Amino acid sequence: MSFFSAPIAKLIEEFEKFPGIGHKTAQRLAFYVLEMPVGRVENLAKTILEAKQKTKYCSICGNMTDLDPCAICSSSTRDHSVICVVEDSRDIIAMERTREYKGVYHVLHGAISPMEGIGPNDINIKGLLSRLNGNIKEVIMATNPNIEGEATAMYISKLVKPLGVKTSRIAHGVPVGGDLEYADEVTLSKALEGRKEI
Amino acid sequence: MIVKQLKLVNYRNYSDIELNFSDKYNVFYGDNAQGKTNIIESVFFCASGRSHRASRDNELVKIGENNFYIKIEIENGDYDCTIEIGYDRKNKKIKINQNPIRKLADLMGHLKAVFFSPEDLSILKAGPSERRRFIDITLSQLKPVYFYNLQQYYKVLAQRNNLLKKAQGRKDLLDTLDIWNENLATIGSNIILERNKFINTLYHYTMENHEKLTNRHEKLEVRYSPSIKAGEYNDLNDIKKQFHKQLEKLKNSEILSGVTLCGPQRDDLDILLNGNNIKIYGSQGQQRTAVLSMKLATIDVIEKETGKKPILLLDDVMSELDEKRRRYLYENMDNVQTFITTTDRNLVEDSVLANGKIFRVENGTVTED
Repeated sequence: MSFFSAPIAKLIEEFEKFPGIGHKTAQRLAFYVLEMPVGRVENLAKTILEAKQKTKYCSICGNMTDLDPCAICSSSTRDHSVICVVEDSRDIIAMERTREYKGVYHVLHGAISPMEGIGPNDINIKGLLSRLNGNIKEVIMATNPNIEGEATAMYISKLVKPLGVKTSRIAHGVPVGGDLEYADEVTLSKALEGRKEI
Repeated sequence: MIVKQLKLVNYRNYSDIELNFSDKYNVFYGDNAQGKTNIIESVFFCASGRSHRASRDNELVKIGENNFYIKIEIENGDYDCTIEIGYDRKNKKIKINQNPIRKLADLMGHLKAVFFSPEDLSILKAGPSERRRFIDITLSQLKPVYFYNLQQYYKVLAQRNNLLKKAQGRKDLLDTLDIWNENLATIGSNIILERNKFINTLYHYTMENHEKLTNRHEKLEVRYSPSIKAGEYNDLNDIKKQFHKQLEKLKNSEILSGVTLCGPQRDDLDILLNGNNIKIYGSQGQQRTAVLSMKLATIDVIEKETGKKPILLLDDVMSELDEKRRRYLYENMDNVQTFITTTDRNLVEDSVLANGKIFRVENGTVTED
C-alpha cells in the first residue's frame, strides 16, 4: 500500500529505475522535481527529450553521438588502423582522458553473459568484424577486467586473430604512483603474471 | 598471533561489550544460550569474513537493531593490526588499520584462526561440500589469492552452468563454450594445484597427530580426491590439459544435464582410518579423535607456512573428549592463544585456569572472574 498519491508514486517509481538510485533517493528526487517551478520542470523534460532525439549510435563504431559518423570516426588526425574495443560509450571517455590513444573505437554495448542471456549475437561484434577490411592493423581489447569482460575479449580475439589482425589485451596490475607495499596480493600476482621484459 | 581486544556492538545478544584477553588462555563459561559461542564466532568472523554457522550476515545483528560492529586488535610480532567490521543489514564494510578494503580477499590472512566445535564431525559425516569448506577456509587464510581464485571460479561456473542450461535453444551462446572452458580450466587448475599442495602437508601432520593421540594404534590418512584426474598434481599445465580433456569428453552430457560435471566444485577428501573409509567404518569416538587430529594438523600447517601460530577457538569441545584426548589437546595449546567455551569450568584443567583469564557469560554480559 502506497503512502503517496498515484502521480507521485509513479514518478518515484520511474526514478527508481535509474542506475544507482534506491527508493529513498528516488523519493528525494521526485519531491525535488515537484517543488521546482513549472518552467524549470518543462525545461528539464524538454532537455531530456531533446538529448534523446538528437543522439544516436555512430553507424561505424557504435559510440553515442549527435553526428553520424561520430567526431572520432570522421577525424582525419586519428589512426584508423587501430581499433580499441570497449563495452560502453562511457569507456571511450575514460580512454580519451589519457590523451595517449590516437586510434579509433568500437563499442560493444555489453559483454557476453549467459546468466543474463547475452550471447555474441546480442552485442555489437558483427559490426566489429565488418570493419576488419584489411586496413586494420591492430585490435585492442579494452573490455572490463571481470569474468564477463575477459570472456568477451577472449571470444573476439579468437574471431579476429585468424583474419591476420594483431589482437592485444590491455594490461592489469599495480596502479601508477602507488606504493608497491600497499598493492594487494591479488593485483600484485596478476601484475607479476603480465610482466614485461625491459 | 595474539588477539588483544575485542569490541562488539549489537552483535547477536551483545549490546556493547569490550573484552581484553590473555595472551594464553581465555575461558568463557556459563549456562546454555547465554552467548559464549557468539564471542568466538565474532573472532572467527574477523579471520574468515563469515560466520562458521550463520549463512546470512543478517542473522548476526542483534534482534531489534539495524547494524552490528566488531572491532578486534591483533598483535602479530612487530606487525599490529586492527580489524573493524560493520554491517547495516545491506552492506558489509571492513577496515584494516582504519583503511577500508575493497574486496573480501584483502581481509584474508590478517588474523589466522582455527575453529573447532562438535559440529566439525560433519567434516567426516556430511557430504563433500563440508570437506571442501574445511579445505577452503584454511587455505584462504593462508593464501588470499586462493580465495580470490575461488570466488572467480564460482563466477565462471555460474555463467557456464547458465550457458549449458540455455544451450539447446541458443546456438550463439553455445559458440562461446570454449571461452568459458578456457577460463574454468585456467582458474580451476590453480585451485587444484593449491589444494593438492595443502592436502599433502595436511596429510603429514594429520598422521603425526593421530599417531600420538592413539599411541600408534591407528593410522589416519587424509587424501585429496580431485574430480579432475591428472597424473601429477604439481604441474599446472598438465592439470589444465586434463581439465580440458575431461570437459571435452563430458560436453554432450553436460549440455543434456545443463550443469558442469567436473572441476574443483566436485572435489572431495578421502579420509581413511587404517585403510578404511572412516565415515562408514569409524566409531563415533574414532571419528571425534580423527577430527581433532585434523584440526590440530591445520594449526601445524599454518605455522609451517607462515612461521606463526594461529589462534585456536574451541567451542564446547571439552565435554566431548575423554581425559586422554583433553590432555593431548592441552599439550598442543602450548604457545597458542586459545579461546575456550564450556558450560562446566571443572572440565578445564587447573593449569589452564591459572594461566589465563576466566570470563563468566550470563545473558549478554561478560564479567571477568
